[in-house]
Amino acid sequence: MNKFYRNMMIVTIFAAASLLVTLQFKSVGPDYSFITVKTMSDLQNAVKNEEEEILQLRSLIEIQEQKLRSYEDAIANEGSIQEVLIKDIEELKVYNGFYDLEGPGVMVLLSDSDRELYENEDPNNVIVHDLDVLRIMNDLKIAGAEALSINGQRVLNNSEIQCAGATITINQFTYAQPFVIKAIGNSDLLNAAIKAPSAYAWELKEIYGLRVESHVSERVRIPRYSGLRNLQYISAKDGE
Amino acid sequence: MIYAFIGLLLGVLLGVILPVTYPAAFTLYISVAILASLDSVFGGLRANLENKFNTEIFVTGFFSNAILAAFLAYIGDKLGVPLYYAAIFAFGSRLFQNFAIIRRHLINRIHTH
Repeated sequence: MNKFYRNMMIVTIFAAASLLVTLQFKSVGPDYSFITVKTMSDLQNAVKNEEEEILQLRSLIEIQEQKLRSYEDAIANEGSIQEVLIKDIEELKVYNGFYDLEGPGVMVLLSDSDRELYENEDPNNVIVHDLDVLRIMNDLKIAGAEALSINGQRVLNNSEIQCAGATITINQFTYAQPFVIKAIGNSDLLNAAIKAPSAYAWELKEIYGLRVESHVSERVRIPRYSGLRNLQYISAKDGE
Repeated sequence: MIYAFIGLLLGVLLGVILPVTYPAAFTLYISVAILASLDSVFGGLRANLENKFNTEIFVTGFFSNAILAAFLAYIGDKLGVPLYYAAIFAFGSRLFQNFAIIRRHLINRIHTH
């Protein structure tokens, strides 16, 4: 009996040991590895980012397909895509400041504060800076502005806004305050981008005491780009 | 010896057949426990060759070593100190020691026969 008990024990122990080893073999395959919680969340974020990018690319494809369809429609209906291309060119010209533009939008007036400085206060606090203009312009773009101008200078993709002492240089023309930013777009949204509490322009007005006015207008006029266009370094690349 | 082989085969068969899987997070504990049990098995072999084999010591050693090793790994995980290294080191070195002694016994047997 004691012998039997002993043998059974040995069988059990060896069975348990090899059972553990086999289970471990099954678990630690190439599909399993040790990772920390941080790598897990990092990977999850990476996956999420990739998924978002995929969605964006999909929507890009859709846009391009729509464009392609419009070309195909034009070929089917009129036999040539000349008209569509001319329309494209006109649109690009509108984007790039070849035309005087008109449409609903807002006019934003920015000028230095006329309040007294506090004791030891930095006088920069009551002056309009180039960065203020930049941020307000960006807010207007976020609100869907389709065209922008500053003091009559159409703002294009390469328009600079440069600090030049108490003045600001735009399209290589220098202006002193007050600055008038005009934007064409949905006038309610544009107005909200200026006047909404905690918007940057609102902060300038309420906290720093700058003069910030925004006027909604049905007919905001933005002139064409008046600077020179000479590209020296760019060359268009075909086939892509 | 025969019983040991029967046990080994039984365990491998069970492991292959049973659809048991555990989370990947447990593999560390299990692997340390495996090391502990391998140590016990080698120790048992050695004791058997020296005719000092004692079932109770063997059985209790097997389970207590495995449980202690897994527990160390767990505590180390909680404390942020890789305590399972201690288990790996101790059991690993004992494993080699036991194996060396087993080898000596076997060679002695061959020479005396």
